Amino acid sequence: MKKILLLLMAVLLMASIFVGCSKEEAKEEGPVTLEFALWNKSQEPVMQEIVKVFEAQNPDIKVNVQLTPYKQYWTKMETAATGGTLPDVFWMNGPRFINYAKNKMVMPLNDRIESSNIEMDKYPQGLLDLYTYNDELYGIAKDWDTTALWYNKELFDNAGLDYPTNDWTWDDMMAAAEKLTDVENGIYGTAARTEDNQVGLYNTIIAAGGHILSDDRLSAGYDTPETQNGVQVWVDMLNSGYTPTIEQLTDTSAVDMFTSGKIAMMFGASWNVKPFLDNENVQGKIDLVTLPSIKDNGAVIHGLINAISANTEHPEESWKLVEFLASKEANDIWAKSGVVIPSHEDSLELWVNAYPEVNLQAYVDMLPYAQMYPCAESSMWADAEGDILKQIWNAQISVEEGSKLIDEKIESILGK
Amino acid sequence: MDESTIITKRKLPKKRIKSEHLWAYLLILPTVLGLAIFYVGAFIQNLFYSFTDLGSFGSWSFIGLDNYKRIFSDPEVGKTLSNTFEYVLLSVPLTIFVSIVLAVLLNSKIKGIGFYRTLYFLPAVTMPAAVAMVWKWLFNGNFGLINVMLGKIGIDGPAWIADPNFAMIALVIVAVWMGVGFNMIILLAGLQGIPRSYYEAASIDGASPIHQFFKITLPLLSPSIFFVMIMSLIKAFQIFDIIFLMIGKTSLAIEETKSIVYLFYKYAFEWHDKGYAAAISIVIFFIIMLVTIVQLKLQKKWVNY
Amino acid sequence: MEQRTYKKSIFKKIKNDRYKTYTHLFLIAGLLITITPFFWMVLTSLKTLGESTMVPPKLFPELPQWSNYLEVQNTLPFMKFYLNTFVYTFVRTIGQLLFCSMAGYAFARLEFPFKNAIFVVMLSILMIPGQTFLLPQFMIIAKLKLTNTITALVLPGLFSAFGTFLMKQFFMQIPKELEEAAILDGCNHFQIYSRIMMPIVKPGLTALAITCILDSWNQLMWPLIVNTSIDKMTLSAGLASLKGEHFINYPVNMAGAVLAVLPMIVIFIIFQKQFIEGLSHTGSKG
Repeated sequence: MKKILLLLMAVLLMASIFVGCSKEEAKEEGPVTLEFALWNKSQEPVMQEIVKVFEAQNPDIKVNVQLTPYKQYWTKMETAATGGTLPDVFWMNGPRFINYAKNKMVMPLNDRIESSNIEMDKYPQGLLDLYTYNDELYGIAKDWDTTALWYNKELFDNAGLDYPTNDWTWDDMMAAAEKLTDVENGIYGTAARTEDNQVGLYNTIIAAGGHILSDDRLSAGYDTPETQNGVQVWVDMLNSGYTPTIEQLTDTSAVDMFTSGKIAMMFGASWNVKPFLDNENVQGKIDLVTLPSIKDNGAVIHGLINAISANTEHPEESWKLVEFLASKEANDIWAKSGVVIPSHEDSLELWVNAYPEVNLQAYVDMLPYAQMYPCAESSMWADAEGDILKQIWNAQISVEEGSKLIDEKIESILGK
Repeated sequence: MDESTIITKRKLPKKRIKSEHLWAYLLILPTVLGLAIFYVGAFIQNLFYSFTDLGSFGSWSFIGLDNYKRIFSDPEVGKTLSNTFEYVLLSVPLTIFVSIVLAVLLNSKIKGIGFYRTLYFLPAVTMPAAVAMVWKWLFNGNFGLINVMLGKIGIDGPAWIADPNFAMIALVIVAVWMGVGFNMIILLAGLQGIPRSYYEAASIDGASPIHQFFKITLPLLSPSIFFVMIMSLIKAFQIFDIIFLMIGKTSLAIEETKSIVYLFYKYAFEWHDKGYAAAISIVIFFIIMLVTIVQLKLQKKWVNY
Repeated sequence: MEQRTYKKSIFKKIKNDRYKTYTHLFLIAGLLITITPFFWMVLTSLKTLGESTMVPPKLFPELPQWSNYLEVQNTLPFMKFYLNTFVYTFVRTIGQLLFCSMAGYAFARLEFPFKNAIFVVMLSILMIPGQTFLLPQFMIIAKLKLTNTITALVLPGLFSAFGTFLMKQFFMQIPKELEEAAILDGCNHFQIYSRIMMPIVKPGLTALAITCILDSWNQLMWPLIVNTSIDKMTLSAGLASLKGEHFINYPVNMAGAVLAVLPMIVIFIIFQKQFIEGLSHTGSKG
């Protein structure tokens, strides 16, 4: 009896294995199917909408949208690339770009762009530069994000203060923070966004007139007075007491504190727009302006592109898709959804009006002076930088000491 | 001694031995074949790549022992190894101790034992991501449930996760919490193999439950305990995910908790140096292998079969 | 004389009850630690987004937001996840129960050349970080053109060094006499394995089944890498897609996690009944 059972199980096992083995042969005739990879759940439905429009205009192309959570996205892409199954078109970001371009995993698009109708001046130049390697452009920006100064109107009203304006300087902000801080009630004027350089430090470095990485991406600019000033402002903020302590911010995120009405002003990136406005605790009570200036106005900008796999079996169709994604038509769909800022200039107004109750124009206003997010071949330099910055924020070393260390470390990593 | 019980290999006819060998190979064939294809090959490949400078997409060149030389002078390797050792030394004995006590308790004939067992099993079933989220809140320095409770009895709780001095303790607590359910299953199964009659006989002789535990339970459970010990050690050396889910890259506490597998992961998937990562993994392998061999040798001393 | 034994047995009963009470107390105390995180998880799944990120944290939601559970179902093909995970878990577990018990038996009770060497090599696999295997396994699957299939999902997981080791330990607990008696009766090794050993080792098989089910249920990396369509995802992999790069909707994520745990609890309740003592061998000793 037992033997029969065992035999049965073994047979079942074999059967189930071979059921999977009967994979359909690649459909040579009929529509071409493109694989498209992205990582953002809230953008996926919008992408599906765009795909529908695209497929209607191109009946012989089908697009299969694959969602992979961000944490596992790059491992998956790398594995797929090595195994030869990289999706035809996939999202690419700055930090990973050079590695893919250098290893010829993505397709340069100069020729195709030239012979197309794409108007290059409709897209932020900083992003076009970001995705250029060895004079080859590998993609048109699909979206961009940058940071603005969010504030809680209710807290300002309670303190009897005027709301921030686009002309504010850092000192204006700190002066207001002093009056808004009420530690007994757990309210702080501002919050130090030292946990994310894209939202915090890099913006102030640029606004202070400094730079993070050199143009040739072989060294860092921390050992200059301007850059150090950009770092110093956060150290001063942490020492001022108008922000939760670094330990508190490690335990509880600044974003959560802001949406709980505990922070009066805070640097907030454009990806926070929807989460902020969906949060019933601060709905209707918040608004935003452009970042305060230090030496001048400055901000850092980053955005994604839709890259084409260099080894795709369908280069023409992939290009058609990418071309469509760069068009105003596709960008308008992104803009209306409000989930992300479209890269096409002409679609910006639609996005700004997606949430008319807040001043989204603030993000757009910063475009003229927004600089490229610093990227190199791997994130090793950024991780080393982060480790040393941590020591600065926790008052273990001074800004000057730390800056020297950062420059040394980064040069030893990038200079190889 | 009955002649029939003394069946040593020498006395077996050749045909008997050959048949035994044949059956043995047949029985191990699926597993060994499967493991060879899917795992051993990969392992050897990994060993090979540790002598190269393998990058992200498959390009490599031979660099001999350079990776290994680098490992010995890399302070981060030293730091992560020491963190990992600390974690192993703290969490493994504690986990095993609690698992044994729990398994014995959950083997009692009391009402609702099924209910208890299910609840104690829950931690093992939950996704690590959810576990990390929840414990992060519980450990919150200002508002976490733990510190709120401690506050009620007048203790000012530390910032468990933010403070480098306490993060390891928090990590160990979570590790024990997660790990016990798993071990408990194996130990419970092992306990089934101990006939009740032994305990009854001991009771009649007047032995207390504690006495019975040490003289009957522990020795007869030792094969399962041995298994749990080896697996717990192997698993503990490879701790990685939960650290980052709970503590996060930007915390100072990471310096005191980052593990060696974290370093491996960074080099393999973020810093595009798969060759160095492979070398790190081989170092991890040797350490674990050494510890396991020591345990295998010691098993003769305390494990009863 | 009778009075003395009567007193003795009452005394024993009281002592027994005392131990039982201690056991209950101990277990309940431990439960407080064990259950609290779940309590928090379920409560969070019923909060609104604002309530879940509130600082200071709110313990109870104002109104239970069952809509979070609906949202998980709506944004993800949850039923498909259950199905895929079930198939994946089932095939993997049966495979491991079969193959690991066969191999475990051989390593425990039989002698053959290279036995120790093979076993050590097997154990070695467990000693390097699991991520090392992702790429090589994927390459094999890719070469066989099996990406995005259930087969690919299941195949590597049918074989387990851990499971083999586990079964070996259980098989080693069985007294030699049983085996020798069977040999004298004329059984071959496969019959000994299937008719005699397997029934005795049932608790071990149960433990293996539970751990295999557990592992399969929580598997994340492999399903994500080998599958591309959301329809083929397993629970953990599918739920992971709820997490964004910058933003996590805590209540919805927790709702998903609770939904993922429920079947496992049911499975465990069914299986744990196997852990009833005295179930197996009376052995050759008294």
